[in-house]
Amino acid sequence: MGEMEQLRKEAESLKDEITAARKAVQDLTLQDHVAGTAVVGRVQLKTRKTLRGHLSKIYAVHWGDSKLCVSASQDGKLIVWDSYTTNKVHAIPLKSSWVMTCAYAPSGNMVACGGLDNMCSIYNLKGKDGNVKVMRELAAHTGYLSCCRFLNDNEIITSSGDCTCVLWDIETGSQKTVFAGHLGDCMSLGVAPDFNTFISGACDFTAKLWDIRDGQCRQTFGGHESDINAIGFFPNGNAVITGSDDASCKLYDLRSDQELITYQDSGIMCGVTSLAPSFSGRLILAGYDDFNCNIWDSLKAERVGVLSGHDNRVSCIGVTPDGMACCTGSWDSFLKIWN
Amino acid sequence: MDELDETQLKNHVESLKQQLQFNREKTSVAIPELTKWIEEKMNEDPFLNPDILKDNPWVETSKCVII
Repeated sequence: MGEMEQLRKEAESLKDEITAARKAVQDLTLQDHVAGTAVVGRVQLKTRKTLRGHLSKIYAVHWGDSKLCVSASQDGKLIVWDSYTTNKVHAIPLKSSWVMTCAYAPSGNMVACGGLDNMCSIYNLKGKDGNVKVMRELAAHTGYLSCCRFLNDNEIITSSGDCTCVLWDIETGSQKTVFAGHLGDCMSLGVAPDFNTFISGACDFTAKLWDIRDGQCRQTFGGHESDINAIGFFPNGNAVITGSDDASCKLYDLRSDQELITYQDSGIMCGVTSLAPSFSGRLILAGYDDFNCNIWDSLKAERVGVLSGHDNRVSCIGVTPDGMACCTGSWDSFLKIWN
Repeated sequence: MDELDETQLKNHVESLKQQLQFNREKTSVAIPELTKWIEEKMNEDPFLNPDILKDNPWVETSKCVII
């Protein structure tokens, strides 16, 4: 047997062992555990604000705190909004209009974006003369930038169509760690609440959990039947939610290393573009290609609400850190604040 | 897996070996702890507890706004 053939056989055998190890600890299912729990009552959120100003499709939105958020549009602008007043705090023109992602640093000092230029551009919002300028351009990915998230003012993690994720040192512009292992474009990433790990979702239909400091993939979750477009941590850091082109979302438990439940409905036949858990995690808000956003009871896997109001695909969604509101962004060029 | 070269395949196998070592918790422990955490937090979830949104920063409390 050739070396390659031997390695392939070894890989298949290890995957079977992992499947068996997962089954061995499965002595209770989520469905059985919550059999006696009632579904939450109908959730009706209203549009409180519409943020108008972008001239083209919105691809990404990210909350900085519970008032300010940044959005990215293919009109070539990053806009930082005061969501309470709908005022534009900053309107930042981009070198490349093919932007796919944006992020707000936890400190509020910086924002970042990237897309088909394969780069992650970092902008300093607190420059001395009040002007917002490019602080750093992080270039090394050989594919589009699909997502980026700050760890702090000097470190950011990016995911790319080149199938890798990278941890960057912003000051030096260098790659500290390359996270390789996905067999398809990385589409989305989420950082754990304790900042020790992050998760990535990819076009190989899997989600991977990575240790930020040692660069290793700790866990891989399969089950989806198509590209994973959206991923997020559960608020307590012990579970992961994914959204896929296969029209479903899934909940994976990190401690038992397995899928707990799937959120799907025979009436939904279009892909999930984005998702966010509510403050407690009991609700999962998911944006779809059919212009709607469905609200799921995360424990009972039933739809308990819908956010309708956009005239095109809901491309991005985010819940404020204090859980008080969610923001949806759409290809119709508007952002809406709901609660 | 067919598109991987020998080095990538070796790394893939190594990674799987590491992932196999993960110390898995029983679901009879993990699931109840997860659901307990959620149920305890639901009281503080603005989308589930309407009292929290009585003071809604996105809703105008009066008709006039001083600029």
